[in-house]
Amino acid sequence: MLVLLGVALIVFFISHVLNPNPALLWAGPKARPETIKAVAAAYHLNDPLPAQLYYYFQSLVTGNFGLDPQTGRPILSEILFYAPNTLELVLASMLIIVVLGIGLGYISGMRFGTKIDSAIRIFYLTAWSTPYYFGALVAVLVFSSYVPVFPSGGNGTVGFSYTSITGIFVLDALLQANWPALQSGLHHLILPATTLALLSFGIVPRIMRSSILDTRWSMHVKAARARGLQEGEVRQKHILRNALIDTTTVIATTFGWLFSGTIIIEQVFAWPGIGQFSYTAITSDNYPVLVACVFVFTVGVIVANFIADIIYPLLDPRITLGEGG
Amino acid sequence: MSTELRRLRKLLMSNALSTFGLVTVIIFVVAALLEVLTAGKITPYSPYAPHFNQANAFPSLGHLFGTDFEGRDIFSQVIAALPVDMGISIGVVATSALLGIVLGTLAGYFRGALDEVIMRLTDMFLAFPQIIMSLAIAATLGPSLLNVSLSLIVVWWPPYVRLVRGAVLAVAAEDYVSVSKALNSSFLYIVRKDALPNILPSVLVYATTDIGSALLTLSTLGYLNVGIPPAMPELGRMVSSVTYNLYLYPTQVVIPALIVMIMVAGFSFLGEGLRESLDVKLRPHILLRGRGLEKLVIDQPKKDGGVGTTPVG
Repeated sequence: MLVLLGVALIVFFISHVLNPNPALLWAGPKARPETIKAVAAAYHLNDPLPAQLYYYFQSLVTGNFGLDPQTGRPILSEILFYAPNTLELVLASMLIIVVLGIGLGYISGMRFGTKIDSAIRIFYLTAWSTPYYFGALVAVLVFSSYVPVFPSGGNGTVGFSYTSITGIFVLDALLQANWPALQSGLHHLILPATTLALLSFGIVPRIMRSSILDTRWSMHVKAARARGLQEGEVRQKHILRNALIDTTTVIATTFGWLFSGTIIIEQVFAWPGIGQFSYTAITSDNYPVLVACVFVFTVGVIVANFIADIIYPLLDPRITLGEGG
Repeated sequence: MSTELRRLRKLLMSNALSTFGLVTVIIFVVAALLEVLTAGKITPYSPYAPHFNQANAFPSLGHLFGTDFEGRDIFSQVIAALPVDMGISIGVVATSALLGIVLGTLAGYFRGALDEVIMRLTDMFLAFPQIIMSLAIAATLGPSLLNVSLSLIVVWWPPYVRLVRGAVLAVAAEDYVSVSKALNSSFLYIVRKDALPNILPSVLVYATTDIGSALLTLSTLGYLNVGIPPAMPELGRMVSSVTYNLYLYPTQVVIPALIVMIMVAGFSFLGEGLRESLDVKLRPHILLRGRGLEKLVIDQPKKDGGVGTTPVG
């Protein structure tokens, strides 16, 4: 909670204090003086800073971010439209990351020093070193142009009328048993989600591998073998489970990168999500929207860390909730 | 010291991954330095002068990487962009590491209220998604190299504080620090003689990999056309300026992006290699591998990847 408050303050500092003349920026470089005055009045920009801070926090607490100065619609409803699309992309990537990251890291660690180990390491380090824009452009080039298996953009909603329950297209289609819509949604989802996942997941197998290496030669594993436990049981309960604790932390960290990655991925794949929305806001100096987007992203990261905190005690009985957290 | 350095070199050259990293990093750093020192004379063509009759050429001997839509030599543009990309990434990481060492040492050594304030502040900055925050700050401050560096540093320093604080906490609990304190050594003396030598290796390892991450984020800002001043050669922006040519002339898009990727991979492979070399637990496994000396290692892994039950040998 304290972190959230601090984040809000920092965002306020950047959007209201760092700019010498926010009204001019918000209204646009070619705005007439009357427009600038009107904008300043509408967004309380003439008030002293403490008053601005008050209005700012009022908008955050009530979730009422005001009207988008460029579309005239409430920012909150715009965010509620874009955010589920991003969530769809991010959750799908997360699923791929968890399965692939933990799997590859485990294999790599258990086969330390072999050719398989080197191959896996080269794979994830290279994937990690790839800029988002490069990976995304190559994915589009290869899988939509050279071998056209996947569509190059969009999230597949076009041409389907569906009632929104969660706002996440694939989930909605599934809940309403709308199979053609589900198929279209998945078909559009696979390429961007896989690209986003592969480009962000490097650290997961890396930490998984090093935790496996930390654990597999340690005393408690030896003790487990000495007690005559089955090899499978030793690996599953004593090595894998121990290694998952550190890995959970970095998976939570990866969420932050996924959110960052969506800016580029959504751009390249024309995915109507909050990453593209915030990028448009940045390039068009749309500060009210930008503030809202940064805030939503940050809340996303904090929630991810919170979920990781809940998972720890399930993995390691020595850790209990509330202790040092 | 020199034996230690020689051993480090041996460890680094012991696997292809870190050798690749070391060589790549040296090549790019030397190229960037040469470009700066000779004031741009090492590029075969001018990176800016258009030759419209040679526009959109594919890679050839004359133009190693081909030319762009205005006939400018892409190889020369890449070389011209190296100082900016390298310089900012290294600068951002160095500044963040320095900030981290100062704040982390203060927090870890003095504990108490100071620690609490520094760490809460760190947590706040840690909660930001990096690219989005940098984008917002760089866009607000306006395009300039200093502003883009600042926008990166703002999101870059927090992990260093955590890293250093943790290391300082561990060192401060050691007996030799208590002895040093009992002998009335000053704070700065203890930091210089006892703490820093123990902390710097891990900071260095983290920073090596981190230069790659900084480069990724910087070139992403360039790709999104935020922060880098106009007419400044930058690899990410080179990619975005020709993205519309993706289907017709893919090499124009792929080559600068590939250069970024190779540089980042170089730094991360080197960092990974350094980390493993400095890890005392893994050291014997690396140094003795393939020399018939494996049996010296306690509990060496079996060929099939399972852990052998070999007794201490």
